Parts: sequence; C-alpha cells; structure tokens
Amino acid sequence: MNLALVAIVLAVAAGAVLAVSTRDGAASAIGLAFALLGAALLSDPLPSPAVLGVRVVAALLVATMIRSAMRSAPRQPSPVGWPSEAFLATAGAIAGLGLAVGLASAAAAGGQSVGLPGIGEPGPAGPVETGGAAVTSMALITAAGTSLLVLGAAPLVHGRPGTRRAIGLVLVTQAVLLLRIGVAGPAVELEEIAREALLVVAGATGAALASAAAGSMLGRETEDELPDPDAAVEGRSSVVAR
Amino acid sequence: MTLLVLAAVALGTGLATIFLGEQRRALALAVGIAGSLAVLALALVMPDTDSLIVGGVGMVSTPVVRAMAVAWSASLAVLGLLEIAVGGRPTVVGPSLIGLAVAGLALATKDPASSMAALAAGGVAGVVVPGLAGWLDAPNMPSRLPTTNRGTLAILGSGLLGLGVIAWGTSAAGPLGGSGATGSLDPAAQLGLGLALLVMVAAVAIRTGLIPLHVWAARFMEGVSPLAVPAAFAWGSAAFVLVALDWSQVALGQTAASGGERWLIIFVAMTSVILGGLAAMVHDDIEHVLGYSILQDAAVAVLAFASLNPDVVAAARNWLVASATVKTALAAWASVVRTTYGGHRLDDLSGWARHSPALGVAFAGILVAAIGLPNMALFQARTDLVEGALPGIGAAIAIVIAAMPAIYLGRIAIAGLGPVSPAIAAGLSGRPRWRGGRAAGWSGGPLIQAIRAIPGELRANRAPLMALGVLALSVMALLTATGGAGG
Repeated sequence: MNLALVAIVLAVAAGAVLAVSTRDGAASAIGLAFALLGAALLSDPLPSPAVLGVRVVAALLVATMIRSAMRSAPRQPSPVGWPSEAFLATAGAIAGLGLAVGLASAAAAGGQSVGLPGIGEPGPAGPVETGGAAVTSMALITAAGTSLLVLGAAPLVHGRPGTRRAIGLVLVTQAVLLLRIGVAGPAVELEEIAREALLVVAGATGAALASAAAGSMLGRETEDELPDPDAAVEGRSSVVAR
Repeated sequence: MTLLVLAAVALGTGLATIFLGEQRRALALAVGIAGSLAVLALALVMPDTDSLIVGGVGMVSTPVVRAMAVAWSASLAVLGLLEIAVGGRPTVVGPSLIGLAVAGLALATKDPASSMAALAAGGVAGVVVPGLAGWLDAPNMPSRLPTTNRGTLAILGSGLLGLGVIAWGTSAAGPLGGSGATGSLDPAAQLGLGLALLVMVAAVAIRTGLIPLHVWAARFMEGVSPLAVPAAFAWGSAAFVLVALDWSQVALGQTAASGGERWLIIFVAMTSVILGGLAAMVHDDIEHVLGYSILQDAAVAVLAFASLNPDVVAAARNWLVASATVKTALAAWASVVRTTYGGHRLDDLSGWARHSPALGVAFAGILVAAIGLPNMALFQARTDLVEGALPGIGAAIAIVIAAMPAIYLGRIAIAGLGPVSPAIAAGLSGRPRWRGGRAAGWSGGPLIQAIRAIPGELRANRAPLMALGVLALSVMALLTATGGAGG
C-alpha cells in the first residue's frame, strides 16, 4: 500500500467535506481546491508533467469559478453539519474499497490482475488471489471516487439552486472521473484532456447557474414576490444571509 | 489534420460568439457566421480518410464525420442569418459551433471514453446558453431556471453514465476485460454484455429525452428560441447516439442484444416512437410538434441497439444525419413563422402558406424530406432500422411510422392552405416588395444610391428573406434525405 496515496485520499475527502459543509465561502472554495488538486495527484506513478499540468490548471480553474460565483450567491452550509458529512465520506470510501476488492475477486475468478499495482506491490503479470486482495493504488482511487460521489450526490440532487449544487456537480463529475481510472486503469493523453475539459465545463456550468439563481433570489427578495410564505421562511432558514 | 483545424476554428469562433454575445450582438453574430462558413469550407475540402494520432489515440475523418460537418455547418450559417433577422440574444451559433467541433472530434476519435467525455462537455453549452437567455428574457417565468438546471444534469449525467459503462466494460471484472471477451459466451459473460448494453441505452435515453425522461426537454423547448433546439437535441443527440452505437457494435458485439435486452430496447424505443408521434399529432403549438418529432427520430435510431447489425448501424448513421438536417429546417420554419406572425398555435396560423408562398414551398420540401420517398436514403434507413429490430413486420411498421410526420406536418400544411386569418393578415408580408431603391435624403449617383438603399430594402423584405433562408434549409434537408451520410 502506498502511504502517500493514502494521505492524498484523506486530503481529498477532507477537502470535499469542508467544501460541502462550511458556511464560509472562502473556506468552501479552498476545500474544493484541495479536493480537486488531490484528485489530480491521485495516480501511481504520477502522469507526465504535461498531463499533470492540465489536471492542476483545470482544478484551480474550477475552484476559481466556483469561488467567483460565491461572491454573489447566498451561503448554503450543509444542513447536517460537517461531522455527518465526514462520516458519509468515510462510509463512501469504505464502500469504494469494498467495490474494488469485489472487482478484484471477480477478476481473480477469471484469472486476471486488477488495475495497476502500487509501489512495492506485485506486478500486473501475477493474478490476484481471491481471498487476499491487497489494497492497490486503484482501490484507493476508487475509494476516493466513491467518497466524493456520496458527498456530492446529495447537494446535487436535493440541494437548492446555488453554490452548494454547483459544488455537488463538480464533486460528482470528479468522482466519476476517478472511478473511471479506479476500475479501468490510467487514461491515454487525449482522454486526460477530454476529462479535464469536462471538469471545467461542469464547474463553469455550476458557477453560471449558481450566479443566475442568486440573481433570481435577490430579485425576488427585492420585489417581495415570494408566493408562498411557508416556502419563504423555509428558504431563508436554509439559505444563511451574508 | 484538416479535422483538427476545423475543430479549432469552430471552437474558437463558437467561444468568441458566446462571450461577445452579451455586449456586442452584431459582432458576435458576424463572428459566428464567418466561423460557420469557414468550417463549411474546411468540411468540404476535408478528405474522407484523413487520419492522424493525437494524444496517443488515432483519429480518422470518416464519410459520416464529413457529411455531418458539411450539413451542420451549412445549416448553421443559415441559422445565423436567421438569428440576425429574428432578433433577441444570440444563443444559436456559438453553442452550435462548439457542439460541432466536439462532435467532429468525438466521431473521429477511436477511443470511446475520450469521445464520451468530450461530448458531455461540449453538449452543455447548447442547453445552458439558450436556457439562461430564455430565463433572462422571461422574468415572470422563474421555472425556466430549474429546467435549465435539469437539462444540464441530463447532458452531463448521460455523458458520465456512458463514461462509467465504458470504463466498467473494459475493466478486468467487466464483460470486455476478460481474455475471451465477446467470444466466450458463458451465462455470466452474456449477462454482463447485456447489462452494459442496457446501461448505454439508458444513457442514450437520458441524453435524447426519450419518454418518460422527456419532461425537461419539453419544458426547455418552450422557453428557448426554436433555432436553438437543433444544436441541443437533433445534432447533439445524433453525435451521442453515434458514439454510443459505435462502442456498442465494436466493443459489445451483436451477442449483447440477443436475449431479453433486445426486447427491452425495442419496448423503450417503440414507446417513444408511438407516444412521441401521437404527441406531435395532438399538440397544437409548433414548438411541441418540433420537440416531439425530434424525440421520435431519436427513438427510431435507438432501434439500432436492438440488433447491432453492421447494416443497421450504417442505416442509423444515415438516419441520424438526415433527420437532424430535416429537423433543423423545421426549427427554422417554426422560428420564422413565430417571428413573422407572432402566433405559434395552429388556430392562429390559418392561411400562413397563402400569405407567404416561399415559406409554404419550403415547408412542402420539409414535409417530403421528413416522410421520405421509397428511393430516398432516409426512407430506406428508417425501414432498415425497424426491420432490423422487428424482422418480418418491420417494413409495415416503418410505413406506419412514416405516416406519422405526414399527419402532424400535414395538419400544419392544411392550416397554411386555409383562409387567411386576421392575425396572419396583420403580420409581415411574405411577398417581396421593392421600395424604389432610393435612400431617403441621398442625391448621389445611381450606383452609390443603390448601395445606400440596400439596408432599407433588406429591412423591408425581412419576411421574404427569412422565408428564403428556410427554403435553403429545406433544399438541404431534401438533399441529405436523398443522399444520406455515406453511412
């Protein structure tokens, strides 16, 4: 097991928990940047400098766009708090490890190796034994992916329009991209470019929709046109004003 | 190499059009139209078998890529001119150029994961830009923002789902990761192949908005310019279906569609074919007719997944490119009718064809292209697709499906031939008129005076000029429906 990768997975999960749970916009953007930069480094061995550069630039660009949208949008902290989000991330990561081990077992039944080995692990030529599947670098990447998936899914599906949903969209996109590598191995260079373009587009779209939603809320509050008083109370209690 | 230049030009001019559009509409549209024409020129000179390796992946510009680039860019240039005449925020050319660039690269790339990621990224602009513009233009309709949100999720979600199933398929535990792949047909491998195919079809259903996943698409079409619909649905969906189909055929093979999966796919597709056609027949507003007819076209293409036969997949290529061209012409017609006469319900459009004969001729061309004649590629492709999924009875069902556009477009044609209603009579005249060619307050020579008079003449003949644009698209639709896409 590669300890550096374990540390990066922990940093990715911690950054994502911070991004979805804090009520401070700057801290949320920093958490998102940590999660995305960590995800960019989740590879063993590291990709070529050009690919790494594309990944890092895309991660920083996405964090910048989301931060930019936060300036005009109301704050939306997690309704369940950071401890619950942290537990959720842990559960997701464990599920990811289980998924990776399950895939390894299924593959081992067919006499194949799973993914690329971590440093100091057996080479790809050796089949993985069903009963003793090691935690490979691919399993750690899968764990990071599932962790981000469970953290991002709730704000994406059930969140109110705004930056929280934008963060959910980015996290889910990054999660699928990590799962792609976790289960099928490293991507070729062209796919790396396409993947990072997809991440940037997800961030840009989330930021644009969050800004539009903020403008919509502001307009409604200015004109005092909230049609349903109960909905207004509920909305204002979940959207903390600056 | 030509393909890369084409994609770079389309991407650059598309982004420039979007970013300039908010502040400098005229300049943005000029850049967009120039970009479309440049892309058209590049597509026309692009060799059919141009190949190169980019980022470790081979790219081959096939006849389908070329046909799609030519048809899409040519229709986009006309749509850009129509967008100038129609007015409003520029939401058509920019996103379409980005979609075209990405679709061209995705169809040429031999790595399906790269194609799927690129299509998801490139397709979002086609929904977000017109969706936000529609929301900004109608402050009394706040529900348009959630619709745009859902549309974004559908586009990104379908791409991510496609990416996920491709990854799982090629993983060591997936149906294609084994040494035997499609050759070893034990029950577990068969189940895996079928499951992978069904998930890919689910991604296609989300992307194309098949019934019952069509609600966001229907709401979206109500809130945007009809000119923006083809990029988001007809062309964008066509590129997505083509990539999904290529992966399913090459990676999974025909054995994936041999069991219950086949009947499930046929059920999903036929549900949308029948209900989409019926919905287009019963709706009175032309935007809904356009939307449901596009949905029905996509459902016909989905039938190719039920057999994955190479001949049927080739038919699907012809069908997707031809039907997208036809629906682009129909979208242009709907937009021009709405701009010229203000109405969009059949009750308000009585006598439209009499009032604007050029628009009527253009619609007749669209009608013929949408139904197809027995020797046309579109008609043959539809028959092959249905026959491939339902051997024996397919030919008869294909004729029934062909009759549906005859009914829903025929209703519009009949309304156009009826007595001219007061609303139509009050609209812009569809007949050309000559103002005399003299610019007010100008006393120069005849040539200079004629040049000075051009803007005034163009303004005075806005409606017939828009009708001419639709006529050009209608001719293009007929040509593509006749010749296909070289699939």
